[in-house]
Amino acid sequence: MAQITIKPDLEFARALEEAGGESLKKCYQCATCSVACPLAPANAPYPRKEMVWASWGLKDKLRADIDLWLCHNCGNCSDLCPRGAKPADLMGAARNVIYKDLTEPSIVGKWMSKPAGLPILFAIPAVLWLVVWWIRAGFNGGQWFPRAADGRIVFGQIFYGDYTIDPIFMLTFFTALFILARGAMKLWAQFKPEGSMAVIGKTKCWVWHLWDVLWDEIITHRKFDDCEDGPDTGKETPSRKNGHFLLVWSFAILAFVTAVVAMGHWGGKVIPLIKIETPMPLTFPVKILANIGAFMLLLGLGLLTVRRLRLNPKFQGSSWYDWYLLGIIWVIALTGVMAQGFRLADAIVPAFVVYYLHLVCVWMLFAYLPWSKLGHILYRTVALLYARMYGRS
Amino acid sequence: MAGKIGVYFDQQNIGGGLDVEALAAQTAEKWGDLTAVVKVVPVLALALDEIKADIEAQGLDGVLLCGASPRVDGELYRLPVLIEHVNLREQCVQAYKNPDRSPVDTAKGAPELLQLMARDYVNMGVVKLQKSEAPEAATVQGVQRILVIGGGWTGLTAALEAAATGYEVVLVEKSDKLGGAANNIPMASPLASPWENKQPTNLVAKVSEAMGSPKIKIYTSARMQKLEGQPGEFKAAIDTASGTVDVEVGAVVLATGWVALDQKYLAPMGLGKSPMVVDAASFGKMLVADQVKANRIAFVLDTTMAEKAVTEAVEGCPLDGDAAAAAPAAAPAAEGEDVFVKEDLESIRHLAYSNAVNSVGMLRLANTVCEKTDDACQTFILYKDMTVPGILERFYKKMQERLGVMMTKADVTDIREAGNHMVVECKNTLLGMDFDLDVDMVVLPTGLVPTTAKDVTIHFDYRQGPDFPDLALFDGFADSNYICFPYETRRTGVYAAGCVRQPLTMDACEEDAKGAVLKAVQCIEAASHGVAVHPRSGDLSYPLFNMVRCTQCKRCTEECPFGALDDDEKGTPRLNPTRCRRCGTCFGACPERVISFANYNIDQIGSMIREVQVPKDFKKDGPRVLILACENDAYPALDMAGERHKPWSPYCRIIPVRCLGSVNAIWVSDAMSKGYDGVMLLGCKYGDDYQCHFVKGSEICAKRKDNIAETLNRLGVQPERVELLEVAIDEYDKVPNLIDGFVDRIMAMGPNPFKGM
Repeated sequence: MAQITIKPDLEFARALEEAGGESLKKCYQCATCSVACPLAPANAPYPRKEMVWASWGLKDKLRADIDLWLCHNCGNCSDLCPRGAKPADLMGAARNVIYKDLTEPSIVGKWMSKPAGLPILFAIPAVLWLVVWWIRAGFNGGQWFPRAADGRIVFGQIFYGDYTIDPIFMLTFFTALFILARGAMKLWAQFKPEGSMAVIGKTKCWVWHLWDVLWDEIITHRKFDDCEDGPDTGKETPSRKNGHFLLVWSFAILAFVTAVVAMGHWGGKVIPLIKIETPMPLTFPVKILANIGAFMLLLGLGLLTVRRLRLNPKFQGSSWYDWYLLGIIWVIALTGVMAQGFRLADAIVPAFVVYYLHLVCVWMLFAYLPWSKLGHILYRTVALLYARMYGRS
Repeated sequence: MAGKIGVYFDQQNIGGGLDVEALAAQTAEKWGDLTAVVKVVPVLALALDEIKADIEAQGLDGVLLCGASPRVDGELYRLPVLIEHVNLREQCVQAYKNPDRSPVDTAKGAPELLQLMARDYVNMGVVKLQKSEAPEAATVQGVQRILVIGGGWTGLTAALEAAATGYEVVLVEKSDKLGGAANNIPMASPLASPWENKQPTNLVAKVSEAMGSPKIKIYTSARMQKLEGQPGEFKAAIDTASGTVDVEVGAVVLATGWVALDQKYLAPMGLGKSPMVVDAASFGKMLVADQVKANRIAFVLDTTMAEKAVTEAVEGCPLDGDAAAAAPAAAPAAEGEDVFVKEDLESIRHLAYSNAVNSVGMLRLANTVCEKTDDACQTFILYKDMTVPGILERFYKKMQERLGVMMTKADVTDIREAGNHMVVECKNTLLGMDFDLDVDMVVLPTGLVPTTAKDVTIHFDYRQGPDFPDLALFDGFADSNYICFPYETRRTGVYAAGCVRQPLTMDACEEDAKGAVLKAVQCIEAASHGVAVHPRSGDLSYPLFNMVRCTQCKRCTEECPFGALDDDEKGTPRLNPTRCRRCGTCFGACPERVISFANYNIDQIGSMIREVQVPKDFKKDGPRVLILACENDAYPALDMAGERHKPWSPYCRIIPVRCLGSVNAIWVSDAMSKGYDGVMLLGCKYGDDYQCHFVKGSEICAKRKDNIAETLNRLGVQPERVELLEVAIDEYDKVPNLIDGFVDRIMAMGPNPFKGM
């Protein structure tokens, strides 16, 4: 009887190894991991089957595998693996590799996948902002480090908001959003089984499913509790919930603040009533919210970084994807603070250079979002939504 | 024959309210001059000097130690005279319970039944000593030369080990080249710590070391013609290219290895039908010769297809090639029963036995292919059981790490040719789906068939024939009882090592070779001291024949499990003492009772049986049941039951025997005429998974019991009064129930009709 002929793709397996799943060949299929996982369901549980698919380089199987996204990476499986394999890391690696290939242009994904790609990723915004700098220096009489009329250092003299920062970032942001959305649609299509699908029983509108996802995963972070509530592994595994919770909420707050300020600034040009001028006074509610957000960001970032540093690499490692994201956020935060510091200290050359770096990194965060680990904001949400609507196939 | 016995009671180890002083007084009174010394000592272990002084002063020639089981601190009591123990602790006081099962109250002294039991045991001990003699050794020269048959990996290792230990070695290899199967395995699974990586075998170095050793004499293109004599003084005749060579050797290491299972068994999986299907051994050779060009290779460890085909062939159509082979095999059998016909024991089962070796081998081969091509080559290991022995688990871990090595448990249901490639059909895989694999090559396991399954390897010049007995029980492997006694065969002095004993990886073959050489050395030393080598290591006694009464019935020569007895034309038995393992199966067999050991004989045990006081009133005083217990397994189990206070009926009297094989029918008659109501034979498990130290003892005893039952029936005694029960050494929790059950049956039967006559 003819049945499916499988074609292992070892290049895919190799890519998984490079993306943090280097232990995938250690698995001997005992299924301790699937038993240890507090989230895995009873039928066809994960991550055992993902381990063998990865080892066999079964790209199509993993791409269509919704279970990859149900994993919340508590690391119980890796703690208990009798062979020293790390299924948790493999699951993370598989997620990264899958949307790396999914997101066009995929060359960016390739650069993103290993440290060797970093110089290129850095060079693009570096050149972009250097060009801006060069053009704006022309406007300032050829001065690369101009001072304002009153002698203060004003970054806007070079990186003028309305004409440089705002349009570039808006374009970048919406392009990234577009790319991300296209990738998410592809992912959705990959989940769909071949042929037609019938959903039996009571159904509800996708909006309500989305609300459930947001409520469980983001607003309350309840799933993280379920994930951490697994069997005691006898090994210390620092919790991710608090750090992740703070970081996600700080992102939400800062996004909101940015939106309000943008609305106030650009909308204010049309409707003077809602005009917001920057810099805002420290007592202004939006400013207070912004500072709360910034504080939460630093705290969450600190917690997550300390957690990663405390991980026992024998059981759970940190891939390049993990460090890239944490690193870029740290660099943004630090360059932001330092730029302000140099500015107030009146050190004009370091102030401009650091501010320039700050812009480069911010651009990197947004522009490469669809390929970076941060892409899971949308990809995971989409996968969870699919799972809620159609279940696991 | 001990004529002056010292009896010592170990006060601290008896207890149970027993009146030890009364026991001592009774003994002294009953035996008079025979028991020159009767003493109660507070602690026997501290009275050794006192006993030695008594031996000196009184000229004692026997010492009876009454207290703990002989299995406890036995080695403490090394005295220059005959020693016997009376087990008053484990199998008397600790094993006692009231017949009505009421709690034992020792406040007012021991119950009467317990006192009677103790008295019986002491009297039996005295008689046993009285009828014992100090054995004299049957010493042979002990030639310091070891014959190693087979010049492969195991044989070479054995030869080098033996030479390093200081023994001369004669190495016989049938082909013209040393090394055997190892010639095709330059890189093996690991041979030493850390057991992770493939390791070069350095066979060339091993061969040249053996060839250069002045202690090793090598015959290639040579075969065994004959092995005669006995351990310590074997005479081997070796057929060589330049004629027969005769050589004296002390012991033999059999390392003749294996041959590959016939291709026909794997034909259902495509072997021999397509050039793209090969077996692991051939694949290994191809790999060494750099002839493997395939890019995708399936290693199929699941041989269900082949096994199914054999089952179906038995039911209906035969396998290819079977029809031709079957016809001529029948012919020689007709020529007369004296002609020895070697039964071909090769079977599909050898494939399953070889699974561990093939698991390790396929991991090694798959990894090697991927390594050579830097994972451009994909290999698939499809197993039913991935069996990796012991520490080679580390090797398994290492080998599977290779990117190109992919593994899954799978039912391989079809292997077929499709154009220029093969399709392997897999079901029930760990990948969660059934699938086909397109490959350029399929590698099947190699069945390791021991050479002893196909050929007579040694050609013993023994009364019982040229080959090892009962090889079919082990599917042709030269083994006798793997768990208890590795390396031992049913022929004392011949030790099997390597794949002829069990399919083994190369590291295990080396270990085997060393173990077998140690056994051979032990054997030569034991022979030169005239003691048994195993399992009764150090036993000086051996069977003595009173030929005057021998009727040449040949029972002893035929029943000896180890072929220790040859005979002359008339059938008179001739003992080879160093072949003997001292089990006594011969004297159990002898209807004329001409065979005895100095310290273990028919009359001795018979007298012990008669020494028990059997009460005449069955109703009032209860029955008496004799238990003849195998001292290797049943006796320790009884000790353990006693230690754990799992008592049994107080009507039993236990006599340890060397092996149930040594139980002579006359003992049962003795017991019945004495008035015992039942006889229980308590021995090891027998059958295919026998646990008997002497292989055949309990089995032979079971057959003899049937004859005894017939005799009893004729005499009007219920044959059910004699029962054989099997017990394993760890079944201490079951053995009291076995005994009580038997006693209950006897109670129901009523008294022995001969009682009181």
